[in-house]
Amino acid sequence: MSDLNLDKLPGGFKGMSTDIGSDQTAFKGVNWGKAMMWIFLLSDTFIFSCFLISYMKVRASVVEPWPYPSEVFALEFMGAPVPLLLIAIMTFVLITSSGTMALAVKYGYEKNKKMCGWFVLLTAIGGLTFVGMQAFEWSKLIFHEGVRPWANPFGAEQFGAFFFMITGFHGTHVSIGVIFLFIFARKVFKGDFDTGKRGYFTTMKSDYVAIEILGLYWHFVDLVWVFIFAFFYLW
Amino acid sequence: MSDDLNINKKRNNQIKTKSSSASGRGETDIDYVRPAEVPDQDLYHGHSFITKWIFCQDAKVIGVQYTLTAVFTGVVGLILSWMMRMQLGFPELFPFLTAETYYQFVTMHGMIMVVYLLTALFLGGFGNYLIPLMVGSRDMVFPYVNMVSYWMFFVAVVVLMASFFVPGGPTGAGWTLYPPQAILEGTPGAGYGILLMLISLGLFVIGFTMGGLNYVITILQARTRGMSLMRMPLTIWGIFTATVLALLAFPALLVSAIMMTLDKILGTSFFMPTIIKAGEALSYDGGSPILFQHLFWFFGHPEVYIVALPAFGIVSDLISVHSRKNIFGYRMMVWAIVGIGALSFFVWAHHMYVSGMSPWFGFFFATTTLIIAVPTALKVYNWILTLWRGNIRLNTVMLFCLGFIVTFVNGGITGIFLGNVAVDVPLSDTYFVIAHFHMVMGIAPIMVIFGAIYHWFPLITGRLMDETLGKWHFWTTFLGAYSIYFPMHYLGFIGVPRRYFEMYDSPYIESAVGMNEFISTAAFIVGAAQFIFFYNVVKSIRLGKPAGKNPWKANSLEWLTPDVPPAHGNWGDKLPVVHRWAYDYSVPGAKEDYITQTTPPSEVREAEVEKT
Amino acid sequence: MYTGLVFLAVIIGSIVFHVWTPWWWTDVASNWGAMDDTIVLTFWIGGGVFILVCLFMTYCIFKYSYKEGRRAEYKPEDKKLESRLTWITALGVAALLAPGLVVWNNYIKVPDNAIHVEVMAWQWGWKYRLPGEDGKLGTSSNKSISDDNPFGMNPDDPNGKDDIFIESNELHLAKNKPVKILLRSIDVLHNFYVPQFRAKMDAVPGTITYYWFEPTKNGDYEVLCAEYCGVGHYAMRGKVVVENEENYNKWLAQHETFSSFIAKRKNNNFKNKKLVKISNLLSEENNILREKDVR
Repeated sequence: MSDLNLDKLPGGFKGMSTDIGSDQTAFKGVNWGKAMMWIFLLSDTFIFSCFLISYMKVRASVVEPWPYPSEVFALEFMGAPVPLLLIAIMTFVLITSSGTMALAVKYGYEKNKKMCGWFVLLTAIGGLTFVGMQAFEWSKLIFHEGVRPWANPFGAEQFGAFFFMITGFHGTHVSIGVIFLFIFARKVFKGDFDTGKRGYFTTMKSDYVAIEILGLYWHFVDLVWVFIFAFFYLW
Repeated sequence: MSDDLNINKKRNNQIKTKSSSASGRGETDIDYVRPAEVPDQDLYHGHSFITKWIFCQDAKVIGVQYTLTAVFTGVVGLILSWMMRMQLGFPELFPFLTAETYYQFVTMHGMIMVVYLLTALFLGGFGNYLIPLMVGSRDMVFPYVNMVSYWMFFVAVVVLMASFFVPGGPTGAGWTLYPPQAILEGTPGAGYGILLMLISLGLFVIGFTMGGLNYVITILQARTRGMSLMRMPLTIWGIFTATVLALLAFPALLVSAIMMTLDKILGTSFFMPTIIKAGEALSYDGGSPILFQHLFWFFGHPEVYIVALPAFGIVSDLISVHSRKNIFGYRMMVWAIVGIGALSFFVWAHHMYVSGMSPWFGFFFATTTLIIAVPTALKVYNWILTLWRGNIRLNTVMLFCLGFIVTFVNGGITGIFLGNVAVDVPLSDTYFVIAHFHMVMGIAPIMVIFGAIYHWFPLITGRLMDETLGKWHFWTTFLGAYSIYFPMHYLGFIGVPRRYFEMYDSPYIESAVGMNEFISTAAFIVGAAQFIFFYNVVKSIRLGKPAGKNPWKANSLEWLTPDVPPAHGNWGDKLPVVHRWAYDYSVPGAKEDYITQTTPPSEVREAEVEKT
Repeated sequence: MYTGLVFLAVIIGSIVFHVWTPWWWTDVASNWGAMDDTIVLTFWIGGGVFILVCLFMTYCIFKYSYKEGRRAEYKPEDKKLESRLTWITALGVAALLAPGLVVWNNYIKVPDNAIHVEVMAWQWGWKYRLPGEDGKLGTSSNKSISDDNPFGMNPDDPNGKDDIFIESNELHLAKNKPVKILLRSIDVLHNFYVPQFRAKMDAVPGTITYYWFEPTKNGDYEVLCAEYCGVGHYAMRGKVVVENEENYNKWLAQHETFSSFIAKRKNNNFKNKKLVKISNLLSEENNILREKDVR
């Protein structure tokens, strides 16, 4: 390997395999935590894919008619039902929070403590708003519409089952993200990422790359919501 | 060569070789290895007893913890198998063995052995101990998460064992846990038993995701200087691919477990169609039992490769070291492992040929299943070609490798029978299937596990295990297990179905009685023979012959640590630098019949090594 | 030295066992002898590979035992050999897959003249329904099953009026007449398997599955449930009797049709029992663990 020169790689597949197969790291310059988050997200993608594929399979095969999501999830506004209004607002909030997260990462790398902290906080609040609206949606369906996991007045009973299961899982992911965002906002304002203070549990040094790693997670949560929104609510 | 790839300027001790002296380089520096890209790992050091031995973050300790816990569950599984064989060989002899308890033993035996013993032992046990050592790092990349992953596994085992003690007992739904029967009355343990099983599986998946992330990132991003992917030992390739499979396959299990839990406690109908019980329809409606089977086997098939691939990798290294010969066709072996891993996601419905799924799937899955036989066969050829013209030490380790080859080829061939969809029709759900999967998943990987323990015991303890006891252990286990499962195939041919508490009145199956007695007797003998092994382990820890450093004269990094057993941090002050692959054995021109991975080329100028 | 001998003994013992085994498959009593033929082919190819690989390994044990000072061959790879082995293996695999897929294709394509036989599986026994003179089974639903209507027949379907109920475990079939077995389960997974017929398929509640075969030998055959279905799984037995057409018709005439079943019930002035009870969502009985239904 004394002639391995990663600056002058041949083109095409051979160059790529030489680069990935080279010693020490397969992905040059990638922090361990970031690599771990990517692979965790890949695994989590499989989980949500299994949920959504199962949903599609059951929906295609139930004999009972499937309820119309646009009717079930309509909100009354000025006396008229507006289909999917709440969902639209939730989607807007979550996508915006992805935007604030991206800005937080940018300011983090610029070591701008104040801006980074505020944007992390904004993201957390966005996430919290999303969860709150989801909780409102759940309570409306459970207490006012009589939707249960085992039956509902609109049609096939699996509708409620999949709704609560998939949005519950997603909402749990968002909530965990929100908790971490608040913790990280506090760490940013305290200056832990500047000083490299050791974490409480893991005793590893803090670094602004952690904001980027949390950002990856947050964008994933947002992307999953887009799929849920498309497959469950729109279809 | 420039240092422009050095991301971080902070570097600690670099190994300076003789040729790269300050006078500059007139000739090409044959010992040159790229400098370190990142600083040395910031390692956690435990100081109290609890942080050094209980909540320990050192992967070696975690590996031993996984091994001990997994072996404990394995012994429970073994005892359950004796109970099952008591019923099958000598029915009516033991009044406490009712049909309920029999099915509960069948289920727990299966789940324990596949998941809690084999997966945990290969990935958690061998993976944790060997990965950092073999790739030249000080520990896993996230030691804290690694530590948590073991304790998750521990809690999962506790929850599983707790199901023996709850009202109704453990679940008796078969390890495949098919609905609707798994959660309905009529199946033992359909109350608390199945719930605890599902919860335990969920905890297991979470724990193994944490561990799996560690293994994958350590192998991808934390290797030492000079350790490229194609210089890694096949053990690492096997464990790495298996871990990737685990990260992608366990989600399907988790999802199916969640949905079945909801069907049970909330009365949802994911998997539950209209069901008539005692003349009344239950409130379930519209669900699909076949959906569960798809989800389960999408996990279940990669799962058997999660068990098999580390075994493949490990046995390649064992054969190579003990025949003093490079593994034949290393590159092909790597591609075969990766190829088998990838293909394993496309064959799952060969477990469902007679499930009632659309018959057209049968064509597709039979084809993919038989395609996956090709890279597997290539690996078998390469193992025996490694033995060809080797210099074979017939010690206990090698004997277990030979036993592996015989049993794996046997089990693999019977898999071809079952993979061919039309042939599967008469044979599915018979004892042919049981014989097949025990041979290929029970006996063959267990042979590798034993071989691996005899092989790496001197590294972990500094002492050798007793060879005479080892040989007795091997021959009884191998010959005994082979005589249990080889004839069992023929029970399947006469049509004896699996998961039968008793055959009783069957007119043409009377002949099975004698065979069952023989198999049960053999099973008890093989079970008893394992005491030889446990005795050997315990005895050799204190009284075994001191092994010294690298007693097998192997090449891979785990044998080259400054301390034996390796100390915390593995390498002392200086990380190793790798100059070659792990298989430079019997190199023509070299003084010894092995050249370790860290030997620089300048020290073996006269050897005609391949460029690796 | 003795190592090699013992491994050799294992290989030879396996061959001997196979050749002289008293445990071999039952005589095939249906048209699916092709499955047996495919198995024999797999034994030749697969068994051949097993023997060759193990003999080669044993030879290496004999010839290449450790000698101090000897060096093994150093040959990291041999691309030509590996390529050849790949092709040979692929050929062997294809040789097995091709006939297997042909047989499977036949298995899923039911002949037009096959008689439909509904096999109803329940925990833990079998019931059968035959289509009667019109050759068509009437529609039915598991939700309509009751004492008055053991097969859940749709009373409005004219095809069902002449369907013949067989409420015991014993089914008779006429020799050399292909049958399409329609599997129906009212509770959990089951599987209707007669080893001599070779064919089987799971019965899945909520859907109807099928397979077909043609019985070719008269005789009494035991039915074994071949999909785990609870504690009674091993005891869920049935019987299939294959006989000549004359005897078959005699047997058939002994069983009642749906219409005669209804007529008998009417004559007994049996009050129409309410059909199946399904728990009501909004009733007070509703609670989270649904003990009385889920358990």
